[in-house]
Amino acid sequence: MTTKRPKLGSLTQKDIQGDTAGSGAEDLAETRIATVLGLRQFTQRPVRTLLIKGLAGTGKTILALEILKAAGKGKGAYISSRVPKELLESHIPAMKDTLDNQNFLDIRLEDATSVLDFVMQLTEPKTVRTIVFDSWDGLAKELDQKERLRAEKTLMALANNSGAQLIFVSEEPGATTIDYLVDGILELLRVEEQDRAVREFVIHKLRGTKIPQHKYLFTLLEGKFTFFGPYVTPDYSKMSKFVQRSDIGGAYSFGSGALDRLFGGMLPGSTLAIEYDENVPYPAFRAIELPPIINFLSMGRSAILLPLPGANDDRTNSILNKAVGESTVAERLRILSVVRTSDLETTNLPKSATPDEIHELVTRETTRLRAKSKDSSVLLVKSISALENLFASDLDSLLEVTSQEIITLAQSHDAHILFLPKDSPIRSRILSMSSSYAKLFVRDGTVLMLGVKPHTGVYALQHLEDPTSPSLTQLV
Amino acid sequence: MNSLSATSEEEDFATTFASAVRGGLDKVLGQSGAAAVLSHMTVASSTFPDPAEFHKKLLALFGPQATLSLERAIVKDLMRRLKWALELLSIEGAFDFSATMHKIQKRAKS
Repeated sequence: MTTKRPKLGSLTQKDIQGDTAGSGAEDLAETRIATVLGLRQFTQRPVRTLLIKGLAGTGKTILALEILKAAGKGKGAYISSRVPKELLESHIPAMKDTLDNQNFLDIRLEDATSVLDFVMQLTEPKTVRTIVFDSWDGLAKELDQKERLRAEKTLMALANNSGAQLIFVSEEPGATTIDYLVDGILELLRVEEQDRAVREFVIHKLRGTKIPQHKYLFTLLEGKFTFFGPYVTPDYSKMSKFVQRSDIGGAYSFGSGALDRLFGGMLPGSTLAIEYDENVPYPAFRAIELPPIINFLSMGRSAILLPLPGANDDRTNSILNKAVGESTVAERLRILSVVRTSDLETTNLPKSATPDEIHELVTRETTRLRAKSKDSSVLLVKSISALENLFASDLDSLLEVTSQEIITLAQSHDAHILFLPKDSPIRSRILSMSSSYAKLFVRDGTVLMLGVKPHTGVYALQHLEDPTSPSLTQLV
Repeated sequence: MNSLSATSEEEDFATTFASAVRGGLDKVLGQSGAAAVLSHMTVASSTFPDPAEFHKKLLALFGPQATLSLERAIVKDLMRRLKWALELLSIEGAFDFSATMHKIQKRAKS
C-alpha cells in the first residue's frame, strides 16, 4: 500500500503558512462571510461553512472570491475542479489580484484522497482562513453517497479544528448531503423584473445570524459582488454644497450625474413621466424631484412643484433653502400643494376648484415665474396622484387639462416631470404623451429605477454621496 | 515461544493494528478520508504506527473531539479483528489511545 504524499500544485508548507504563521486564525472569522453579504450587524456566531448554490452564470464564483479576498492576502486557498487559474482570471479580471494573492489548486485531474490530503496540508498549520471549493460537485459526484457524506464530514472536522472557513460552490439545484452539514446556504438567482434580468440571493440558512429578510438584490458590476440592502433614508443634515450642472448640449441637466447618465438630460419642451409603485419611500422621490429643481434655480431659472400627497413641505423647503438660499427659493420657486386648502385660498381658488381652475393657476404661476427666469424656462414637477385625489370624480377633465399642458409645454422651452402612480386610471394616456418614461419600484427592500423610454437597464437607487442626490448602480 | 515465532506474532499484530487503523478511519472518514489521513501522516498502511505519535498527529488535524471518535473507531475495529469483546479492555476513566493500544498489544502477546 502506498504512503506517498500527493504532489499538489506548487504549494509548499511555507506557502501555506504564509509569513504570519500561528497568529490570527480566528480574526474576523465570525463576520467575514456576513460582511461580504452585508449582514454583519446581524451575525452572532461564526459561519464556518457556507454552501453557495446556483445555476451557471449566477455569480457563485465571484461571491466565493469576494469571501476569499476578505480572508486577507496569502490566507486563503481556491480549489478549482472546473477551470485553470489563467482562464478564471480572464473570465473575472477584477479578481486577478485575489487569485494571485491566494493559493490556487487545480484539481481537475485529482481524486478525493489527494484533495482531502491537500486540505489537511492547508488546515493543519491553522493559518489559512478560507478555502473555496469551486465546485464541490465536480469532485463529490465521483463518490457514492455514503463516501461523499464521510468526505464532507472529514472536511467539516478539519475546518472546525483549524478555524478555517470552507466555502462550497455548487450547481446542484436540489438538496444534497452537504446541505445538512454546512452553517449557511445561499442560493444565487437570475430573476426577471420588468423584462430585465436582475440578480438576487436567497438565504436558506445562516446559523447564528438573525436574518432580517431572506432575499437581497446584488450586482456583479465590474466583476465584483455588490449587495443592496433595503433602502435607507438619507441623513439630510449631511448635505454637501450643491454643484451646479450645466446644460448638456441642448438639454437641461437633471442636476444629478446619475440621472443625466441614465436619461441624457431633459430636452426643452419634453415631459418625463415617472411611474411609481406604492412601496417607494418618499425620500427616493425627493432624490428624483429635487436635484432638477435645485439645478434649475441655481442656473437662474424658475420651477414649480406640485408635491405628492403626504410630502413634508417643511423638509423640502429646508433642503431647497440650504441648497440655493432662501431668497432664490422665495423668488423663483412655487410649491403648490393643491390638496391643501390654504394653498387654494391664497390663490383665490375655491375648495372645489375644477381641473381647469387649477390649470389656470399653474399657467398663471408659470407665466409669473417665467418672467423671473434668466432664459424664460420653467421646470414643472407635478404629482398626478395629488391631482387625481382632488379630481377623483372628474378624471376626464383632469386628463384633458393634463394633455393640454403637455402639448402646450412641448411648444415652450420648459421641462416637465410627472410622478404617476402605477395604478393611475389615466396612466396609459399620460404615458403615451410623455417623451420619456421611467419606473420607480421596490424589490427586496431596494428602490429600483429603470427607463422604459428610452430603454435602460435596472438601477438601484441609493444615497451614497449626497442625501438629496441619487446614486444609481446598475444591476448586471 | 521462540524468537522467530515471537517476531512473527509481532508482525501479525502490527498488520492487524495497521488494518484496524485503516478500518477505523474508513468507518468515520470514508475511504478517501482514511487514505488522505494516512498519506498526510506518511503512515504506511502495513506498518504499525506508534500510538502516541499517531494520537498527536490526529489531534493536530482534527482536534480532541474528532480524535476521540476516530481512536475509538480504531480500537473497536481492532477488537473485532482480534475477535475480542470490548469489555476485556475494562477501560476506566478518560480514554487514552496510547495506553489502550499498549494494553491490547500486551494482552495479544500473552
